[in-house]
Amino acid sequence: MIKKRIPFILVISLLLVPLSAFIHLSTGEIYVSLNDFFSAIFEFKGNNSTHVLIREFKIPRILIAIVAGGGLALSGMLMQTLFNNPLAGPYVLGINSGASLLVALSLMSGFSFFGSDIGIISAALIGAFLAGILMMAVAQRIHSQISLLLVGLMFGSFTSALVSILESLSGEGALKAYTLWTMGSLQQVEFNQLPLILFIFICGIFLSFILIKPLNMLVIGERSAGLLGLKISQVRFLIMGITALLAGLITAFCGPIAFVGLAVPNLTRILLRTQNHSYLILGNLLFGSIFLLLCDSCIQLFSKQIALPINAFTSIVGAPFVVFILMRKLR
Amino acid sequence: MIRFEEIEIGYSKPLLFIPSLTLDTGKVYALVGLNGIGKSTFLNSITGQTSLLSGKLFLNQQELQKISKVNLPKLIAYVDSSFTGVEYLTVLDYLALGRSPHINNMGKLNTEDKQVIQEVVRELNLVHLIEKDTSEISDGERQLCAVARAIIQSTPIILLDEPTAFLDYLNRQKLIELLVLIAEKQQKTIILSSHDIDICINNALEFLIVSEKKILKTKVCDKQVVIREMEKNVLKSS
Repeated sequence: MIKKRIPFILVISLLLVPLSAFIHLSTGEIYVSLNDFFSAIFEFKGNNSTHVLIREFKIPRILIAIVAGGGLALSGMLMQTLFNNPLAGPYVLGINSGASLLVALSLMSGFSFFGSDIGIISAALIGAFLAGILMMAVAQRIHSQISLLLVGLMFGSFTSALVSILESLSGEGALKAYTLWTMGSLQQVEFNQLPLILFIFICGIFLSFILIKPLNMLVIGERSAGLLGLKISQVRFLIMGITALLAGLITAFCGPIAFVGLAVPNLTRILLRTQNHSYLILGNLLFGSIFLLLCDSCIQLFSKQIALPINAFTSIVGAPFVVFILMRKLR
Repeated sequence: MIRFEEIEIGYSKPLLFIPSLTLDTGKVYALVGLNGIGKSTFLNSITGQTSLLSGKLFLNQQELQKISKVNLPKLIAYVDSSFTGVEYLTVLDYLALGRSPHINNMGKLNTEDKQVIQEVVRELNLVHLIEKDTSEISDGERQLCAVARAIIQSTPIILLDEPTAFLDYLNRQKLIELLVLIAEKQQKTIILSSHDIDICINNALEFLIVSEKKILKTKVCDKQVVIREMEKNVLKSS
């Protein structure tokens, strides 16, 4: 029975991804029909303004929602398994904070190289990775799940204080660029950046699939996994690397996005009722994509009334769900 | 077979000293001693989790320090008493983890692996549990599953840290009988730490009594003798 139920849910959600993309397409400010959408892909004409709109705005936004949703959910799942903590995630454990700090540093440094796309992306990746290493070092010393989260929270406060100091020291232009970046948005990605983003995303997925066996072993704890022959330090480093790669990439392009990496992996486990990571990886990718596509659709829907940053919206949906998990697990 | 030569075990200060000791195949040894005397440290040093202060330890003629981390789990299975279950981890998935030292990096089980699991599940009467969630079964059932996982690992040496702590009398007796049978039939060396001296005597297990920083290997059938040995250093220090 179990064997049939999980593939069934996965297939259904695979069908829900294009459906959510369609909802996303039809909630935009300018109406786009499916016909236009496909002709923009297959018979692109540079002088057709609808085609240009689809190519320059719609497709990148839909793809980046899929990448950001799936990628953040996947990196959250990796961290939760690594730390054996259902409340871990790139946002709560300061991966985003690390990325934000370095992006702030590079934007406000005044050098034009650091303010360029490559500069921001590398800053975010390095910051994410450094924060990940720091959290790993902390997790070695404390074993309480709650304490680790508190350390993550403190790290977040500390970095945002540093960023405030930087802000007060920097000029108007840099300040504006940074503030826009922190708002978090799926609209800043351009068509020609997509290949790079998709390439890194697919690398992250591929590496996660290679780690299925270690991930399944880590479920029973590092010590027991080690006694079954798992090379802990090697695996820990790899998992942290993938997490930083995915979360750093997404943070660089979309700004910090909260709660997807925390809420979706828990939702996936509750829906699939398994700890087998070959299913969990697929589930997180699919549910994360659907979740963010629908969130962004809502933002588009209300865009005439208010300009909601994606970060605010995912928090509105995600935070109550996380409280629900807390009440269920840590009574 | 496990052989100890001039071994000192401990952390900064030595906790145990073992001049020479050989544990044979085909036998189940009961590791007994008061709390905090070093039973777990002793077991941890055999798994390589606690490194030796000095001396040499041989597992089936191979020196422990020279065995790679990949090969060690093919020689030793260790049962921790601390597994409290994981939500959504089924008993079957948990048991399958016992095969991980034998399977490739993709983690797929072949027919032989599945056969080993099925056999052990049948022998330990776990058939009704395999679809259940490890966090929803009883402590005793979970302990049986942990033992089953160690047997599934198919190693010549099995170490069990208080495997009977949560079991009722009947299941305790059944488990010990099964371990004795497996040790004999498959020529394994099994060490289990326990505070239940009666059941070890009833099943004629050989004792490893830890006291006075030493380990005494002995076959006794009188509980009072075992207790007297265990309490030696307590009596001396008081």
